[in-house]
Amino acid sequence: MYGFYPSSLSRTIIKILLYFKIMLKKTLLSVLLFFSFYTVSLGQDLYQIKGSVLNANTLQPIEGANIIGKNRYAISSKTGEFILKNIAKGTYTFTVSYVGFITKKITVNVNSETENLSIHLIEGTTSLEEIKVLGKSKERIVKEIPMVSQSVSKEFLENNRENSLMQTLSKIPGVSTINIGSGQSKPVIRGLGFNRVAVVQNGIKHEAQQWGNDHGLEIDQQGIENIQIIKGPASLLYGSDAIAGVVDIQPNKIPSKNSFNVEVNILGETNNDLIGVSAGITSRKENWFYRGRLTYRDYGDYKVPTDQINYENYIFDLHNNNLRNTAGKEADASISIGYDKNSITSETSFSNVNAKNGFFANAHGLEVRTSSIDYDSSNRDIDLPFHKVNHFKITNNTSIKTDNHKLYFDFGFQNNHREEHSEPVPHGYMPKPSDSKERVFKKNTYSFNARDAFKPNSKHDMVVGLNIEYQDNNIDGWGFLIPEYDRFTAGIFGYDQFEVNSNLHILAGLRYDYGFVDTKAYYDWFQSTINNDDGSTSYVYLQRSQDKTLNFGNVSASLGLSYINNKTTYKVNIGRSFRMPLSNELASDGVNYHMYRYERGNIDLDPEISYQLDVDVDHTSKSFSIGVSPFVNIFENYIYLNPTSSYYETLQIYEYTQAKVFRIGGEFRANTSINKNLQLDTSVEYVYSRQTSGAKEGFTLPFSPPLSGLLSVNYRLKDAFLFKNPQLMADFRITAAQEEIVPPEEKTVGYQVLNMSFLSELDVFKNNDPIEMRLKLNNVFDTKYFNHTSFYRLIDVPEAGRNLSLSVTIPF
Amino acid sequence: MKFTLKYFYFLSIIILFAACSGSDSIEIDEEKPTISIDYTDGFPQGCTSLIKGETYNFRAMVTDNQELAAYSIDIHHNFDHHTHDDQVAECSLEDTKTAVNPLIFIENYTIEEGGTNYEINVSITIPDDVDTGDYHCAFSVTDATGWQSRTSVDIKIID
Repeated sequence: MYGFYPSSLSRTIIKILLYFKIMLKKTLLSVLLFFSFYTVSLGQDLYQIKGSVLNANTLQPIEGANIIGKNRYAISSKTGEFILKNIAKGTYTFTVSYVGFITKKITVNVNSETENLSIHLIEGTTSLEEIKVLGKSKERIVKEIPMVSQSVSKEFLENNRENSLMQTLSKIPGVSTINIGSGQSKPVIRGLGFNRVAVVQNGIKHEAQQWGNDHGLEIDQQGIENIQIIKGPASLLYGSDAIAGVVDIQPNKIPSKNSFNVEVNILGETNNDLIGVSAGITSRKENWFYRGRLTYRDYGDYKVPTDQINYENYIFDLHNNNLRNTAGKEADASISIGYDKNSITSETSFSNVNAKNGFFANAHGLEVRTSSIDYDSSNRDIDLPFHKVNHFKITNNTSIKTDNHKLYFDFGFQNNHREEHSEPVPHGYMPKPSDSKERVFKKNTYSFNARDAFKPNSKHDMVVGLNIEYQDNNIDGWGFLIPEYDRFTAGIFGYDQFEVNSNLHILAGLRYDYGFVDTKAYYDWFQSTINNDDGSTSYVYLQRSQDKTLNFGNVSASLGLSYINNKTTYKVNIGRSFRMPLSNELASDGVNYHMYRYERGNIDLDPEISYQLDVDVDHTSKSFSIGVSPFVNIFENYIYLNPTSSYYETLQIYEYTQAKVFRIGGEFRANTSINKNLQLDTSVEYVYSRQTSGAKEGFTLPFSPPLSGLLSVNYRLKDAFLFKNPQLMADFRITAAQEEIVPPEEKTVGYQVLNMSFLSELDVFKNNDPIEMRLKLNNVFDTKYFNHTSFYRLIDVPEAGRNLSLSVTIPF
Repeated sequence: MKFTLKYFYFLSIIILFAACSGSDSIEIDEEKPTISIDYTDGFPQGCTSLIKGETYNFRAMVTDNQELAAYSIDIHHNFDHHTHDDQVAECSLEDTKTAVNPLIFIENYTIEEGGTNYEINVSITIPDDVDTGDYHCAFSVTDATGWQSRTSVDIKIID
């Protein structure tokens, strides 16, 4: 059993190991001793394997991880690094383990010096032993930052993957979505959405048509590794639009040297007959690296657990429970090239997202329509009304390290082209249009960010930066809703994180933004009849918007502290954020056919100003963690589309107005490990909103999410057959009724819905990473329920019925 | 103690749910107005044929819990069968056709006296030169708060 160990080093290691064995009495180390430790050096070329062990979630080094192979053994250092010396040519398999993480098998083909082998361990719920971690972990760093934020790992994204990115993220307390059918959704943070949540990808603010009701995010959710969510005003860092929060999709980690990874993901779903394929590749030799990804999804109409939909006095019968004409398809491609050497890292990414989605045919928005189109002939065709959207993006992220400074530069160009098509019908004085192209938006956005992070002394971490963004939005089509516009914003900011002592940190920051919006005139393409006061009648091309330039300047600020007291972390943050009015809020003047209303902008709107106090208390111990994050928020002048009691050409006039708003709420979360296999998670979220001035004083805000709780159970099963690390998950969501409404909303009853999933690795290929599979059953009991924040809620369409999905990820 | 702490959060949830079930004292209007042509004098009823050159009184009852504000009447052609009404009766529609000179009636009215009950009564003369065929008549009403109700009915214009 015990091989010979010629070097004294090996002998020392064995002694240390034996010492540890006595000290810790861990069976794990008994297993270690099962292996022999020796080096062979008989007339062969010998190499060494160098690598590092990292926490897959945080990418922070793991110290003390065991790297064990047949006759080989190493322990990772403080920086996570390890070296296996004197290795002959050949293929070796190693087991990498560390308490609290899922043990991983890696296979290395040795034919040259292997460096920068990067091994990522995923945190598991296996038994936690008494561990002392030296150095600052990522967790520690997060605790020290006073800003209340939440990091979402690749593991979370994969385990909870839904049809759209935001649906996946809606499991996080305080995050919800406004859904449009099965494939699209937009982010809502603590009840605020649309342009009040900034979505950032690779450091560049994602600019699409996010103001629109029936617009989703044009982002491929496959291949995202890490998302940072800020649930509060973050104008300080992100400028206008980040008034309610930020979904920051972080650049993917730079691949390690001499690595090559290919993974293919295949997804199938029963509810909307979805088939999806996504393939990703990452590669790096020395300093240059590249990545690429192709994603294709095609799905049919989704099924709802009802035969008919009753909207006002109308009854729509559904064919086979299919929500008529909600099929869609999406094709995404991205490629990036990067360079990483010493102090310079730079990556340029090109991505394109292309999607076509049908909208429910019987009533889109609030307008009831009949059609001669045979929608029920196929559940996969995409008939009118539909939209198609293409989002093209180029980003470059460059960072340069000097002795004491780290400079970051982000460049971005985005082109968003969205077309809404519907059957042309006459309306009011508008004759029947000649084609289906109702609205076209073409938006170009140019962005530039620069920031410098430096340490003037050991107590301070300072960042100063600059953001510049220019947009031009062009329109086309026979329907008018927002005018063409150019928009420019520029902001400078600086903040300092000051370490009072190792447990007390203070962050203070200040920002100034300047911006202008330049709206363009628009006239109807048809004549309207005007009855003049003198009894005569004239026929005129009505002007819908005017040439106007509006300037805005604003100060944002943030002050926060973090105090760590053993296992409890306290954070308090107070901030002022702002949002520049959008061109539709300022200058729209037209019929929104889908919503069956007349929308009127207000050129006198001020930028929205919001003050928010955030508190976060977190207590994490060995067997449980508990946290609460309440907030209080005041808007001086929330911009609100107010339904008035007046009419314009028989359509109700909705007018953009400003009102004071008071909001209070928060999230509560708790987690416990009942035993080493069973983990319970629970969370509750609640927001109370009140308009405290204006036409709708006393009312809430539109799309207010109701009180909701989520109970998750995760049970780790024993390995069986090919299944490795199998686990069962059940998510039970309890949502209270939403009684708080504002015209034209309806109250929504509460519901309970259960989702279950089975996750496992399949150890099929001996020398490769295992196949990852996930079987997920959504809405187990096919419950008919309504989501208050769904776009289709307005026309009484329930949420999707039972859905079984199977996802398989195969590494090559 | 440890046991208590471990299950403390279950209790917390119950408390949170209970705490949030309270309601406010500010009175807000959450009721929509109502609108109906489904009474003896209501006009037009489903499938009514209107003769060119004749004058008709369009009548509908509107109510609100607090204060009525405005109403509108919209008559537009349905030659392409783009929509249908929300009344019980199903009218047989003529073949689809292209509009030449359809009747377009688009008028808004305010209810100056407010109140909680009002009968819409608007006299409309059908011009002699408009296209005959399927038409659609839509009424809508708002209250002072900004709630709206609508109803619509399929009608025909004949020679």
